[in-house]
Amino acid sequence: MELQLGLALPPPPLIPIETFDLNSYGNYETREALGTNALSWPLLKLGPADNDINNIHHHNSSSSSSSSGGGAGCKKRSFDEAPFFDEKRNVPKTLHLLLWTNQPNDEDDDPSNVLHENSSSAIFKNDGEGLVGWPPVKTWRKKVHHQIPNGGAENNRLPAVENGIGGRASKSTYVKVKMEGVPIARKIDLSVHHSFEGLTNTLMRMFGISDGNRKSFKLTYQDREGDWLLAEDVPWRTFIRSLKCLKLIRSRG
Amino acid sequence: MHKKMAFSFPDEVLEHVFSFIQSDKDRNAVSMVCKSWYEIERWCRRKVFVGNCYAVSPRMVIRRFPEFRSIELKGKPHFADFNLVPDGWGGYVFPWIAEMAGAYPWLEEIRLKRMVVTDESLELIAKSFKNFKVLVLSSCEGFSTDGLAAIAASCKNLKELDLRDCEVDDLSAHWLSHFPETYTSLVSLNISCLGSDEASFSALERLVRRCTNLKTLRLNRAVPLDKIANILRHAPQLVEFGTGTYTADVRPDVYSDLAGVLSSCKELKSLSGFWDVIPDYLPAIYPVCSKLTSLNLSYATIQSPDLIKLVSHCPNLQRLLVLDYIEDSGLEVLASSCKDLQELRVFPSDPFGAEPNVSLTEQGLVAVSLGCPKLQSVLYFCRRMSNEALVTIARSRPNFTRFRLCIIEPKTADYLTLEPLDVGFGAIVQYCKDLRRLSLSGLLTDRVFEYIGTYAKKLEMLSVAFAGDSDLGLHHVLSGCESLRKLEIRDCPFGDKALLANAAKLETMRSLWISSCAVSFAACKLLGQKMPRLNVEVIDERGPPDSRPENCPVDKLYIYRSIAGPRFDMPPFVWTMDEDSGLRLS
Repeated sequence: MELQLGLALPPPPLIPIETFDLNSYGNYETREALGTNALSWPLLKLGPADNDINNIHHHNSSSSSSSSGGGAGCKKRSFDEAPFFDEKRNVPKTLHLLLWTNQPNDEDDDPSNVLHENSSSAIFKNDGEGLVGWPPVKTWRKKVHHQIPNGGAENNRLPAVENGIGGRASKSTYVKVKMEGVPIARKIDLSVHHSFEGLTNTLMRMFGISDGNRKSFKLTYQDREGDWLLAEDVPWRTFIRSLKCLKLIRSRG
Repeated sequence: MHKKMAFSFPDEVLEHVFSFIQSDKDRNAVSMVCKSWYEIERWCRRKVFVGNCYAVSPRMVIRRFPEFRSIELKGKPHFADFNLVPDGWGGYVFPWIAEMAGAYPWLEEIRLKRMVVTDESLELIAKSFKNFKVLVLSSCEGFSTDGLAAIAASCKNLKELDLRDCEVDDLSAHWLSHFPETYTSLVSLNISCLGSDEASFSALERLVRRCTNLKTLRLNRAVPLDKIANILRHAPQLVEFGTGTYTADVRPDVYSDLAGVLSSCKELKSLSGFWDVIPDYLPAIYPVCSKLTSLNLSYATIQSPDLIKLVSHCPNLQRLLVLDYIEDSGLEVLASSCKDLQELRVFPSDPFGAEPNVSLTEQGLVAVSLGCPKLQSVLYFCRRMSNEALVTIARSRPNFTRFRLCIIEPKTADYLTLEPLDVGFGAIVQYCKDLRRLSLSGLLTDRVFEYIGTYAKKLEMLSVAFAGDSDLGLHHVLSGCESLRKLEIRDCPFGDKALLANAAKLETMRSLWISSCAVSFAACKLLGQKMPRLNVEVIDERGPPDSRPENCPVDKLYIYRSIAGPRFDMPPFVWTMDEDSGLRLS
């Protein structure tokens, strides 16, 4: 199919899609015409209909291990450890766990509806300030770019940078957060928070601290001079501008 | 089988023949010819590559390959580079080091990508492997300069220490002094990711002076320009060099020092670094430009005229990384000067700006595609594209193996016709028959996926964002792309159907990442239950997925094939769907 710009493209060809016939699985090569069955969701409710699937799954694994005349794929199973996968092995490329049809989506399983219903999984996570991880530029590249002077050629001298990674002038500002007693540090994007309450809520969730236990933790931060301070002692703006990293400590008494 | 093979070679002969086979794919093929070849091959495999550290356990690898000398491991999914994988997800190398330290002390090379490496791991490496030679950490994190000090102090035969793109806790620059005065075997050192203002220049200088085999040296930003001459003076044999900060008060003595010392580096083929460049110092590198094959200017914040001057001095350039300051005009000059160009990466100088700040458009990419006959790999950030340009690019450059285009604003249509860019990308996959890697962007419908499924038969890695209309798109890719190994998707209207209808395909791939799409928790559970050889990981920082209705989409889903079973080092926001998940969660 030659792609000619300017000509109307032919409609997409009917792609022969392998159908999954529950009754005669094992026929990998079958290329039947599309079934006209409606989408069958019962597979998701693990009920009596599941029996067929279980049988067929076992049939699948036993048939490939017992077949003798096959190619390299069969021999692999006789070894003690399964060696690394061979992409050319003859496996069914489309094991259907449900029937595929070309019918338009029913209203209740339209993915875009489901997407809208759950705003917490909506695309814009940064409250409209920008997408997480987009454009796909590595973090340290983002930081470097914002050292760039606006003037261009005249502005040759750039300010010396504090550390090799550069300042945090980019829109997504990630800082390290550690919790006392937890070896693994996390990172949090400061640009999506505008208050201590919002920040604390996120941190509680991140480290799995329940509401009841909230009071036993205090948020501290390390400023540019290296001193550790209590977060709530300073106004939000000061906090944001001077902090380098955060730490949750257990408050005593 | 053995008895029937009257003409079989003795094992030693076969082993000798196998020693010429280096590629993992070929070695894997060899190992499947027959049982005796499997046995011979496994005993003489010296380099092991594990593309996903959770696909297999360290013990399994060691059991199968008892005498390997070199291992390469990859951890986190690629989208971790863009902060899409929450911290703490996994990818810890320590269990591997611990198993290997116990198994045999003759390991020589460790190469890691996107893994969490602790100081403890580094100390264990330093202690356990007496003949340790190569440590390459690419995009790794979790360690500090203390760990590096341990490596420096103990690894007497270290040849290569490469920390490209790592996040290192910079406690002290004095780790460099831990290389003993008797240590001279360094061949390659890349510390470009390190910070630390108080760089230990004298220790660095002494190290460079006594390591006369040093071929690669990539400094970090903290090394000032006037110190470079002192360092380079002792290393005229360098082949690859990365400067530190390339700015200083313009002083004639600094300039002439630098120019003089650079021109004595007759073997120099690759330059990088160039942080904070001021154009006045650029001509210092002109004498070496004619031999350069690789140039990384992606931190060089200089404008088009200076870039053009520089690039026109480099007729033998094969690889160029540059910021979009080069503009279309610069790329046109590149196209006419650098006929050997194979790889081009153009990064955005202002990725978050709403308006274009430079005159870089699709024209630059068209110019390079038309002018550079050997161009095969491209990563290009721009703000507009047209189907016409893409078709021209595809027709003129069918030898592309990697084509990654990022149009900065999601869902941007063809700026000339306002249509989707389906036809343009379709042309890319149709004409570039050897295309192995593709990244899509712009306004795209299901149609582009139909083209990809139909034509991209050699495609191994596909990155998709903000594209498609329905599950049909994903279905085209999963059912059509025969060579697909890695698929990463974000923010597309793909749901359960395509995924479930192509479940077996997932076992033939290394991994699938799908985030901010419409795959329901119910589908994840079903996949996990029915596909025991897949690890189906639901990553969701909102809380347990079963605290929401089953048909709710999960935030992030990472599916990968594994013979090691589900892992046990998951943080609280990751759940593996398996046979028991239905019982465990409710």
